[in-house]
Amino acid sequence: MAEIRRREFLLASGTALAATALPDPAEAMELELGGKGFHQLRTFHPRVRSHFACTLCPYYDGGFTYAENGRIQKAEGNHEHVASRGKFCAKGLASFLGAYDPDRIVTPLKRVGPRGSGSWREITWEAAIAEVAAKVAEALGDPDAIVVNEGSSQDGVMSRFANSLGSGSIYRSCAPGLGGVAKQEALRRMVGVPFLLPDLERAKYVLNFGCNIMETALPLAQRLTDGMVNNRLKLVTFDVRMSNTAGRSHEWIPVFPGTDGFIALAMCQHILSKGLADKNFIETWTNTTVEKLLTDLAPYTPKKASEVSGVPEKTIKRLAVEFAKNHPATVYSMNGVTRRENGMDTEQACTLLAVITGNIDNEGGCCLPRQFQVGVPQPAPKPIGEQKVQLNHALPFQIQAKSRPVKVLFNHMSNPVYSAPAASMWREVLKDETLVPFIVDFTPFMSETSEWADLILPDVVAVERHDLVSAPTSLWPWISISAPTVKPMMQAQDVRETLKKIIDAVDADGQKGMKAFWSFTSAKQWVEQACAATPGMEKNYKKLLTKGFWPEHGKIDSADRAVVKGGEPLTPEYHTYRQSGFATPSGKIEVTIPQLQKNPKHDKLTNGQFVLATYKVAYHVLSMTSNLKYLAEIHHSNPLWINKQKAIAMGIRDGDLVRVTTTAGYLVTRAWLTNGIHPQVVGISTSVGRSSYGRVAKADPLTKPPAYAHAQLEDADIDDNVWWRDKGVNPNEIMPLAAASQHGEQAWNDTVVTVSLAEAGDVYGTIHVDNAKHVAIFKQLMG
Amino acid sequence: MEESVVTFNAFHHVAWGTTISVYFWLVGASAGSFVISSFGWVFGIKRYKPLTMTASVTAIIMLLIVPFLLTWDLGKPMRFIYLLIPGYWHSTGPMAWGTMLICLYPMSMIVYSYFVIQHNQTFARVFGIVAIVLALSTHWYTGVVMELNPGRFLNHTALAPLLFLTGAFISGIGLMNVIVTIRNLLVPAVKRYDWALIHEMSQFMMYGIVFDIFLLFLDFMQTTYGNQNEVMGHTVVLMQVFRFPYLWLELVIGLIIPLIILVTPLKRSLMGAFVASLLVAIGVYGMRVWWVMGGQYLQSFY
Amino acid sequence: MGNPESQSKEPRSFGLQTPGTKGVRGTKRYAMVIDLRKCIGCMSCSVACKTEYGLPLGIWRTWVKVVDKGSYPTTKRVFMPRLCNHCDYPVCVRNCPTQATYKHEDGFVLQRYNRCIGCRTCMVACPYNARHLLPEKRTDGNLPRMVVDKCTFCIHRVKKGLVPSCVQACVGGARIFGDINDPQSEVARLVATETVTVLKPELGTSPSVFYIGGDWEIMDEPHSYTNRTHQVREEFNDFKRNHKGDAFADIVEGEPLMSEVANNWYGYLKTIPHKAKETLNAFKIFLFD
Ligand SMILES: Nc1nc2c(c(=O)[nH]1)N[C@H]1C(S)=C(S)[C@@H](COP(=O)(O)OP(=O)(O)OC[C@H]3O[C@@H](n4cnc5c(=O)[nH]c(N)nc54)[C@H](O)[C@@H]3O)O[C@H]1N2
Ligand SMILES: Nc1nc2c(c(=O)[nH]1)N[C@H]1C(S)=C(S)[C@@H](COP(=O)(O)OP(=O)(O)OC[C@H]3O[C@@H](n4cnc5c(=O)[nH]c(N)nc54)[C@H](O)[C@@H]3O)O[C@H]1N2
Ligand code: SF4
Ligand code: SF4
Ligand code: SF4
Ligand code: SF4
Ligand code: SF4
Ligand SMILES: [Mo]
Repeated sequence: MAEIRRREFLLASGTALAATALPDPAEAMELELGGKGFHQLRTFHPRVRSHFACTLCPYYDGGFTYAENGRIQKAEGNHEHVASRGKFCAKGLASFLGAYDPDRIVTPLKRVGPRGSGSWREITWEAAIAEVAAKVAEALGDPDAIVVNEGSSQDGVMSRFANSLGSGSIYRSCAPGLGGVAKQEALRRMVGVPFLLPDLERAKYVLNFGCNIMETALPLAQRLTDGMVNNRLKLVTFDVRMSNTAGRSHEWIPVFPGTDGFIALAMCQHILSKGLADKNFIETWTNTTVEKLLTDLAPYTPKKASEVSGVPEKTIKRLAVEFAKNHPATVYSMNGVTRRENGMDTEQACTLLAVITGNIDNEGGCCLPRQFQVGVPQPAPKPIGEQKVQLNHALPFQIQAKSRPVKVLFNHMSNPVYSAPAASMWREVLKDETLVPFIVDFTPFMSETSEWADLILPDVVAVERHDLVSAPTSLWPWISISAPTVKPMMQAQDVRETLKKIIDAVDADGQKGMKAFWSFTSAKQWVEQACAATPGMEKNYKKLLTKGFWPEHGKIDSADRAVVKGGEPLTPEYHTYRQSGFATPSGKIEVTIPQLQKNPKHDKLTNGQFVLATYKVAYHVLSMTSNLKYLAEIHHSNPLWINKQKAIAMGIRDGDLVRVTTTAGYLVTRAWLTNGIHPQVVGISTSVGRSSYGRVAKADPLTKPPAYAHAQLEDADIDDNVWWRDKGVNPNEIMPLAAASQHGEQAWNDTVVTVSLAEAGDVYGTIHVDNAKHVAIFKQLMG
Repeated sequence: MEESVVTFNAFHHVAWGTTISVYFWLVGASAGSFVISSFGWVFGIKRYKPLTMTASVTAIIMLLIVPFLLTWDLGKPMRFIYLLIPGYWHSTGPMAWGTMLICLYPMSMIVYSYFVIQHNQTFARVFGIVAIVLALSTHWYTGVVMELNPGRFLNHTALAPLLFLTGAFISGIGLMNVIVTIRNLLVPAVKRYDWALIHEMSQFMMYGIVFDIFLLFLDFMQTTYGNQNEVMGHTVVLMQVFRFPYLWLELVIGLIIPLIILVTPLKRSLMGAFVASLLVAIGVYGMRVWWVMGGQYLQSFY
Repeated sequence: MGNPESQSKEPRSFGLQTPGTKGVRGTKRYAMVIDLRKCIGCMSCSVACKTEYGLPLGIWRTWVKVVDKGSYPTTKRVFMPRLCNHCDYPVCVRNCPTQATYKHEDGFVLQRYNRCIGCRTCMVACPYNARHLLPEKRTDGNLPRMVVDKCTFCIHRVKKGLVPSCVQACVGGARIFGDINDPQSEVARLVATETVTVLKPELGTSPSVFYIGGDWEIMDEPHSYTNRTHQVREEFNDFKRNHKGDAFADIVEGEPLMSEVANNWYGYLKTIPHKAKETLNAFKIFLFD
């Protein structure tokens, strides 16, 4: 603070504000909803605006960042963007803090000492690239031993890298795009597209199965509130616990986990038998008939659904009738129903409700996605083999069993040591240099996974990255650009540029044919080339830079948020399938009545046994936001949600320490007694319980900053004002592997746990896990 | 009734703490002491004349600590000067008046003491009257500064200044008695003040205690028959969180035990008067604590 | 609520309470309507506000209180965004000894950081917890410190023709901002046509933040003390333990009160060195720079 000069002192003491704010009354007639930014005191100081498409979650909202003196001060939604309509969620708004995170990694780091010891040495980029290139060159004889964990970056650059090297060993801790494999596959088979967008603003009735729209799907949430107030829609949410969405719904239906499909099918049956189905639509646009449906659905009676789900038969019937009679109506579903053993079946069952009532691609119904297929720079290498999405979480087990030899492991934008099931297995495997000889992580933050790397190459963060994205979040297709004007912090470098340098070093003379795929010179140029490869955008790159998105369908009315063109509200084009049919082999919606099963593990829950729901909260994106102070301040701990009556009967009081035990181990946390959860379910939120990332994430402001931290990024606020000390507990260490047989993804929400009062010696936050048990579970799973 | 729980809220600080409660006690004790000092020269009760300087010096010392306490309690200590700049002065802010009082009151005491030393009866009387008005006002204002916060239910009562003044009166006497007793024991017999004075002052103190208990009873009535916030203020803040300073320190130690001493033959013993005085002086601090910190307690959860 | 229309605009009397301007012809009166039916508890408003002002941790110009109601399975969640009410009769302004806080003629209740002495009288006065003392340490040390701060209704944006930051960010579209004295404005329309409530109307502050669909329990002060979960209790204790240093009278529940008082006393003494340093610095800058 010693450098404060007199002028600044005056500013600091607020003289400047008084001078500008006092005399002249606020003059503006109509206030605008965004697009400009000013300093709170120095209003005369212009801020530089850049286009920013938020990539923290797969909804990719379009927005802006505002910078002053080369430093971003604020992020916000683009008020003209047809999808975000100026809105960012808390995470998007706080995203820019990541660039100035005092614990951020800003130089290439090389491990010193044993793996995971936490000692690092800064090295130059040249040395780092040379080292990686040498390791890659060594492994080239057995290209599949070069393993890439692609993570959630959406431009496929990691796959391109692997494929360029001739490797097909590509893994993903998550599948980018909405809903995961189960949802995407189910919908693809049924309607030919991986996603259906609910037209929430115009619907009269919404059935929501296991999506926490108000916390995880913000572009949809804003449409939902508009519909709720302006259009008086009725929202019914099926969830095992009272998420914000469930708590704000007109009706929250607590279901027994994994039984939503039974309810959906029973509702279909009831609607059909009452003659409330859209017969015409079924006969014209599906491969089945009302009669056939009725026979196929015969086993799925409301009575049976009521028995498995615990939802009264009367309620099921009533909701079915309400749904059918309130036209248009829409259905939405997500992880709650899809990330489980019967996920694909359930997704189909839920979608069937929309199909039989003719609520497909109609105003207020479930609409076919409208989206740009964002291209990648050409030429691109051919994919090698099939992407092993299914066996994602099996990787550490395979490595340990030596069935998947690894020489070099590249990790990017993924944090399996925290986010994957059996997270402790990842740690064990990554620790072992004989199993994984060389680990490179491209990351801006020291994640739980980065801790085990041999080399950390600092990547840029979202607000510094050039990107081109599109998501089906609006009924008008859009494509947006991120075009930052600030430079990456210190030595951080876009991963695309880093990878290009590695390729250039491996294939210096171009003889290996790798260089051809890496002709761009910068990340910015990558985006230009990607744009040129995007259908409909070939020559439109410049246009993207004016508004940050394209095309401009109309203006957004600030009062009711409708898209207006020439003074008239614009109506989206509906019934698009009428021209060319659905993208299924038959051109029609292909209905197969799923053979729904209740998870047998859930059949006989004993008194202390519960099904565990791990869920996301509105204020974090898995690991992306861990060290962002404003978000951590809101959500930093995750007590165990447990039904109040049930807990009292078990002798557990609010705040008591409890053990949560799975087949692989146990954790100790605090009980939170609530009326907002099904009696046979307990809940733990994800995103907290960090052992890495930094002082904010670990709720430990009193420790010294890490050695690799740079004085330039110091934040006195973090040193002094972090007031919370509870950092939560990570449920994934004890999360047993459970690959759903239908789609191969982790059946997160099927996990059975035993809850008991903590035992002597248990302290809050203890995690005890036995990796041998994880291995046994894996072996059992593989048969 | 349906269950309903707060699951998230922002947290807030209680803005005024120990410093302010200590300051209230000091001002009170100072005002009380000064009242004693004025008995001889202002009200013409001759037998109190010997006590004048001791009382007045005690009052001045008590009050000289105050500016230091308060200044360093400010976020911007050196800006205390703003309180004295005419263009900044804000007539509706009780603290603006308080600052004036805190500045003028010790000055008037010093001038008064000067004339006492000079044995100038006329001027001592004139400035004594000025000083006694300022003394009472200074302490009256501490009640007002808390009272004029309509959102702080425990403090927002017209009894506040009276409670403060009564507290000042008894704690001032208590403090004087303690000082006089100790002094008497230390100095040679010839220089001692008349022990009878202590008994007489204890008598005044007793009336004060009775009146204070009466005021507390009025306050108790208001809060227990009051609105939801007032009732909570009593049941939760006073009877639970601030039970020690309210019930034990103020009511039992500071008022009831001394009262028992002062209405029984115990009062005739020197020890009895001394103990009663000491307890009163300490007990009043309990009131300052619950009054300042307790008054703001509930709202910090809101 | 508000003044009769007939009341003429009085000049702002010096040193006295600014007269109320709600409903007074020829004046502007900026106000906010919060439609609780649209609030989804996303806290975008809080984060937008924090980033707009680079607010230190532990401090909120606006925040969202959450209450869970009802018994299983008919349970509901209620959200309540809170901020300064920009009262038409602000107690904070009335009680400030230095006129550091004042009411702007367009209705904003503002802070002159350079005049504020950090006495916190206004914090005691405000019935809504809308004020806070800025800590000594913050990210940008050139911004005000150790003075009281509050929501400004984003006057720096409004002056430039923008809505406040929290309104801009509000995902649910629950926050509506405008001049309530202009009958054409959305806020005036909503206040006229919907059932609106304000916080603690009985205190005579005449708030300018109106709620549609207010729920009495979440608006009630004692409720937020009596009906806390263990989690919130623990968090608050953490807050009181670790966010000190400025002589606040915070009491950690469950610890002996007098030791808390002693702690508080220590907190006060602890602030003196940095305050002294700050003071010296200020002198140095003025004298030698
Ligand atoms: N804030 C935030 N938003 C995000 C993300 C994030 O990390 N944070 N991540 C993004 C990504 S990658 C994804 S995949 C999506 C996920 O978005 P969502 O699917 O909405 O999120 P989840 O929290 O995984 O699960 C949703 C709900 O399912 C409930 N549930 C569990 N079991 C059942 C059941 O048997 N039946 C029913 N009906 N419900 C059940 C849980 O209680 C939870 O409330 O969110 C995206 N958006
Ligand atoms: N228990 C439980 N576990 C879950 C889920 C659940 O519901 N319950 N949800 C699952 C779901 S749906 C998903 S999608 C996965 C997500 O799991 P992952 O795909 O592993 O995602 P994250 O954990 O967010 O890890 C992202 C990593 O990228 C880093 N990062 C952030 N920004 C950047 C950047 O700009 N550049 C680079 N290079 N790196 C960056 C972060 O620091 C972090 O280490 O988690 C799954 N895990
Ligand atoms: S919902 Fe939030 S995190 Fe996801 S894209 Fe939008 S702003 Fe970013
Ligand atoms: S809410 Fe509080 S700070 Fe805001 S104007 Fe009213 S009294 Fe002042
Ligand atoms: S803290 Fe500042 S604004 Fe508040 S009353 Fe004191 S001088 Fe006025
Ligand atoms: S109006 Fe501005 S200062 Fe006030 S809460 Fe909203 S964003 Fe914060
Ligand atoms: S941003 Fe709007 S919807 Fe979200 S919590 Fe704030 S007021 Fe509610
Ligand atoms: Mo995901």
